[in-house]
Amino acid sequence: MSDMLRDLRLADPALSRFDPMRRIICLDDFDRGFCGWTQLVGNYEHTLDSMNPSYQQHTQPQLSTVTHWDNGTHGGWDGTYALKVQTRPRKGARNVAIKRLTFRRPCPIRLEFYFTFKPEATELRLSETDVRSVGFLYDLQDPAEGGHRVMPHIRFLNALDGKHLQKWQFKRVTTEVKPLGTEGKTVTHDHLAPDGWEDLPGGHQKLCYNEIPTKVNWHYARFDFDLAAMRMLEFQCNDRVYDLSGVGPIVMPAMRNLWCMLNIAFFAETDADKRALSYIDSVCLSGEF
Amino acid sequence: MLPHNATAVVARNETWTGKSASEPYECGWAREAIVFLRALDAPRRIGRTRARIEISPDGLRWVPSGASFAMPTRRDQVAFAPVSHFGNWLRVAVDLPRGASAKVLVTIHMKA
Repeated sequence: MSDMLRDLRLADPALSRFDPMRRIICLDDFDRGFCGWTQLVGNYEHTLDSMNPSYQQHTQPQLSTVTHWDNGTHGGWDGTYALKVQTRPRKGARNVAIKRLTFRRPCPIRLEFYFTFKPEATELRLSETDVRSVGFLYDLQDPAEGGHRVMPHIRFLNALDGKHLQKWQFKRVTTEVKPLGTEGKTVTHDHLAPDGWEDLPGGHQKLCYNEIPTKVNWHYARFDFDLAAMRMLEFQCNDRVYDLSGVGPIVMPAMRNLWCMLNIAFFAETDADKRALSYIDSVCLSGEF
Repeated sequence: MLPHNATAVVARNETWTGKSASEPYECGWAREAIVFLRALDAPRRIGRTRARIEISPDGLRWVPSGASFAMPTRRDQVAFAPVSHFGNWLRVAVDLPRGASAKVLVTIHMKA
């Protein structure tokens, strides 16, 4: 990257909070709307009843002002709106927002975003263990026959069964891939099933959270991935940098309809019978091409 | 720039019985909305039940907005209600009588 390009980006307040690679693929500021983020709907054929139950629970992401009953509108990292992913109020429930792209060159890519999370403020107590996790994933597929579908998953396990764990995890397994319907064209699997998460080595991290459930602080995250080797490279959250060279994604045989797929998803899980709220503002996806 | 316009699917293939409601949806950016409810199967014993549009000061506590619509009584029938001046959250709620049920698709169509 040239000094001029770097300096131009540093002079732009919308970009200077990111460290993008040479080409910016998208810069999603939710003051401009949904920017292509939608709900992850499960696959089905002939009837919605054939959808995997774990996907039935998903709902639409929201443009949120991060507003609380006791102190009003918090707003985004900058501007008014953030993207909100909200679970249902049932322990273990999850929700997923997704942006569906394809890639034009297998090369290193970088996902950067600012995020925060909180439980629904239904109690007058801190409730810091009510959000189980927040995380993100790619859903990728090689460009050619013989390749693979590859799904790197990373989550911050905030709490599990009421224990405040605060650690990063990754996942290498999904559930069995099952056919749907009768036409032989559609399958389903639950890559976000609760089993199979592994601790990222050295991945304990104490994130800033505030003293009541209606205050939030924003966090920076960066995830580097190589589309050519289909390998994770590095992850950063605030001041901590994690080497991912020894960490694997979910890998399965390529599917016949997903060539060059580049999907990005953010998810949230709740650890209590109240909604978990995950907020994103904003997202920068860049590539070295 | 063109005005923003978005559709949110807030209940999909959910079977509603008794006191039921869609998940809270935050959409204060929109100046107006229309809420559609489609019956995916033949509703059972719905009678003349009306669903109501509810608004909220905080996404936690809900009050009727005054807008309402008759619940569909046939498969694929679509009911709707327009709403404006709704603050920051919307949902649809209904109190179905004993023995009544409806499998619903609820969508909110918003315009800034």
